[in-house]
Amino acid sequence: MTASRFRRSEWEARIADLKFTLYFLRKNSLVISGLIMASFFIILALIANYIIDPSLAYEFDISRKLIWNNPIINFGTSSTISYTNEIFLLGTDIYGRDLLKMIILAIPLDMYVAFIITVGAAIFGVLLGAIAGYAGGKIDEILLRITDIFLAFPGIVLALVFAAMFGRTIENVMLAVLLVWWPPYVRLMRAQVLSEKEKLYVEALKALGASPFRILFKHILPNSIYPILVQMTLDYGGVILTFSALMFLGFSPSPALPELGNLASQGYFHIFDAPWLLIFPGLVIVVIALAFNLVGDGLRDALDPRLRR
Amino acid sequence: MKLYEYIIRRIILMFFVLLGVSIIVFYLCRGFPTAFAPWTPYIHGKMTAEQIQEVIKSHGFDKPLYIQYFYWLKDILSGEWGYTGTWAQHLPANRVFFDRFPYTVELAIAATILTVIIGIPLGIISAIKSNKLPDHISRIIALTGYSTPSYWFGFVLQLVFFFYFSRWGLPYLPSSGAVSSHLIGRVPTITGIPILDGVLACDLEYAWDAFLHLILPSFTLSFISLGFLARIVRASMLEVLRQDYIIMARSKGLKERIVIYKHALRNAMIPAVTLTGMFFASLLGGAMISEYVFAWPGVGQAAVQAVFQGDSNFLLLYSLVLAGVIVIANLIVDILYTFLDPRIKY
Repeated sequence: MTASRFRRSEWEARIADLKFTLYFLRKNSLVISGLIMASFFIILALIANYIIDPSLAYEFDISRKLIWNNPIINFGTSSTISYTNEIFLLGTDIYGRDLLKMIILAIPLDMYVAFIITVGAAIFGVLLGAIAGYAGGKIDEILLRITDIFLAFPGIVLALVFAAMFGRTIENVMLAVLLVWWPPYVRLMRAQVLSEKEKLYVEALKALGASPFRILFKHILPNSIYPILVQMTLDYGGVILTFSALMFLGFSPSPALPELGNLASQGYFHIFDAPWLLIFPGLVIVVIALAFNLVGDGLRDALDPRLRR
Repeated sequence: MKLYEYIIRRIILMFFVLLGVSIIVFYLCRGFPTAFAPWTPYIHGKMTAEQIQEVIKSHGFDKPLYIQYFYWLKDILSGEWGYTGTWAQHLPANRVFFDRFPYTVELAIAATILTVIIGIPLGIISAIKSNKLPDHISRIIALTGYSTPSYWFGFVLQLVFFFYFSRWGLPYLPSSGAVSSHLIGRVPTITGIPILDGVLACDLEYAWDAFLHLILPSFTLSFISLGFLARIVRASMLEVLRQDYIIMARSKGLKERIVIYKHALRNAMIPAVTLTGMFFASLLGGAMISEYVFAWPGVGQAAVQAVFQGDSNFLLLYSLVLAGVIVIANLIVDILYTFLDPRIKY
């Protein structure tokens, strides 16, 4: 009886807390616009392969390369001689493919890869951070020093070296990016665990004889998940940037792969005669990253108890 | 713990970090079969097969990897960093690095200054007008900044300020390099930093040219990072503004301007100092992609080339210096903390 009453009031408190958070989010129109943009791209990523035939990415037609026949924007650069009556809204690339279709095909790959990397980095970092924080002592010191070593690298250098040495496959580049993004989660989770583990409920659990594993992952982790989720939302955009930067530098497995950074890298040698090759894929990266950053930034403000008052 | 004890402890730890960094890079560079044999930088066309075998033996390339590491360690402790690949004409790696380093320093200083003078006011405005229009605008600028790929932004700036401005007959900015090609070598290299060299040699045309070349790369770098600074300044400013001593200052009847700039700002600056320090340190390692996009002759661009040629000697030197700079910057920032905020003790 008492237990159920206690539980209900706890749930009520949580729901009230959630409502308060939602109220904060609703008040912030930037978060709403970020949410709309982010959900647009998520939906687009889910249906992209159904609205555009993926095999189009490997249909090359050199006679149609670098066409710009969009009359509204005039780059004033290309000859725009087109032997077809087809309309290419965003022009064609160096393989004669429709750039708009290639961008739509590229969005799922980028978003999927960034999702896997972000989740992977968070899981890995949270595991290490939880162990370091809970165990303390020597284990803590060793894990922190290892994290320090990785933090002392500027991200992109390590990723570049890793990707260069292991060869150009998407999996290797993903691993390279993951290598860069996990250390902050160790710090974050460790700090959370350190503050949680001194609290009364952990002491009560210990007295009840709960195993460290149970205390950590069934009790401490749910209580400290919000900052990690916020960090993941904020990192998502950064991960897309890092991944596409590596692809831009030439770590793509095939130069024709529809991937935003790789599409932009076609523009590297055509920057002054076909600027659309670089502008539009890059713009899509900016918008995706911005959408997730807006949401993450708003979430951080809404969940930060010091800023809520 | 006393401050000097803390510093000594951190310096000892720093050596372990550097050792770890070198082990990771060494294994990444040498541990996997690539198209580039690690001994190629040490040999040249005139060597006979025996001489090549001699080189391989003396640097331990025929030994297992973990023994090779000690050979390498012995080499660098005697000051021999090995040679670079064809991309830098097989010059010694440390010479290539220190020839290029001044350019990176110049870019890093310019980008840091720009970031500070744009980012901090942006953050302050954002905090004072919290959740009003100026805050939203500043938030959008900040978030767009760190959502922008540096290679893309760099090229767009080149396109607009170099290509279109020259087409429209406007004064345009140079798009690549650190000085115009017809001016290279006109002034003696004293510091290696082009602007400073131009000023020291009293060649103002050279210095002005170097300055024009600096604008686009440094703006690219600062745009992608001023967002972090602005957000941090905003958050810490908001927190400070809520404290009792600010309410006290206001109720004394002080002008809002004095409350904000004299009382609040000083305390709100502490996190900003950390971030600026870290930003400068990471730029000293060269912003690889921005340098690559602007063909800036700094160490970052060299590192990109070294990566593509599997040049382990240069990469090892580069990542060690880089990690060293970052660790030292961390330490300096921690020490600065104790001066900025006397409450902090180690």
